[in-house]
Amino acid sequence: MTAETTEPLDPVIHATTRLRIMVTLATLNEGDTLSFTRLQDMLDLTPGNLITHLRKLEDADYIHTAKTGAGTASQTTVTLTHQGRAALDSYTQALRKLLSGL
Amino acid sequence: MNGPPKVDHPGTAEDDGGLDPREAAALMDETARQARREFQPHAPHVAVGAAGVFLFGYGTVWWSFRDQHPYTTGPAGWSIAVLYGVIMVFGIVVSLLFPRPNKGVGGRARRQLNGLGVAGAAAGIGAWTVQGALRYLGYNFELVYGIYGPTVPLIALCAATAGYAAAREQWLELGVLVAVIAVAAGSTFFGPWGAWGLTGLGCCLVLLGYAAALSIRLRRA
Repeated sequence: MTAETTEPLDPVIHATTRLRIMVTLATLNEGDTLSFTRLQDMLDLTPGNLITHLRKLEDADYIHTAKTGAGTASQTTVTLTHQGRAALDSYTQALRKLLSGL
Repeated sequence: MNGPPKVDHPGTAEDDGGLDPREAAALMDETARQARREFQPHAPHVAVGAAGVFLFGYGTVWWSFRDQHPYTTGPAGWSIAVLYGVIMVFGIVVSLLFPRPNKGVGGRARRQLNGLGVAGAAAGIGAWTVQGALRYLGYNFELVYGIYGPTVPLIALCAATAGYAAAREQWLELGVLVAVIAVAAGSTFFGPWGAWGLTGLGCCLVLLGYAAALSIRLRRA
């Protein structure tokens, strides 16, 4: 794949793991959250790997993570932000345009 | 294309620089399909099980008083025990064997589910309280246990759940619940025999149709 072809695709989303994270979260209704552990199970990722990708997505304001509780009872939840949903829509449109031109 | 790429060995945050657009599109489809399956509110086999509960539970009650003309003493106690026993066993089996699709899902979904719990409890308690009041006021067995009992609490619970389905934009589930309400309401025109027999049979058919629709949707997803 040439750099020219992939240029219009959002580089934050255009990576296997982050794309899977975004699409998984997008199948939930807007405003729904998903626990870190469920997301990890669904994507079959190691905690460290998932954290790294989530951090990248959060830096772009595409997702929001929140930690509730403390100690062993603590739970981290992940939400796709409005901006993230819009970015995924734009990414999908850009991908369609690219594919229609191939 | 040979299908979506598999991620057997997840890479690092710096990976995937060479993700092909075709691979990306296939990956999106595959991931969305898997996620929808995971979050599917009810698997087809659960719907088939619920259909069996209606047919066997309501059918047993109908069977116990089918020869009563006119309706005098109502269903046999053992048949009511069978009905509630079947419902309890089904609930336990489903909770043990099938993972909850909402596990780990929170936020608005959790709040809506809590709202459904409150609405469902209010609908059920309200409907059964009115049934008790009707009996207390001296209305006959035929109305209170023959017609009201098998239909009105079911209608109330389905109406509460339909509100939840509408809020979640689960249109198939909303259609199923409206169909159950229509079957239960319509069956009351046929007296206690219809209220128990037709509601059981009708709801069984509706749920089998739902199971078939779920299977098709899962295959197409």
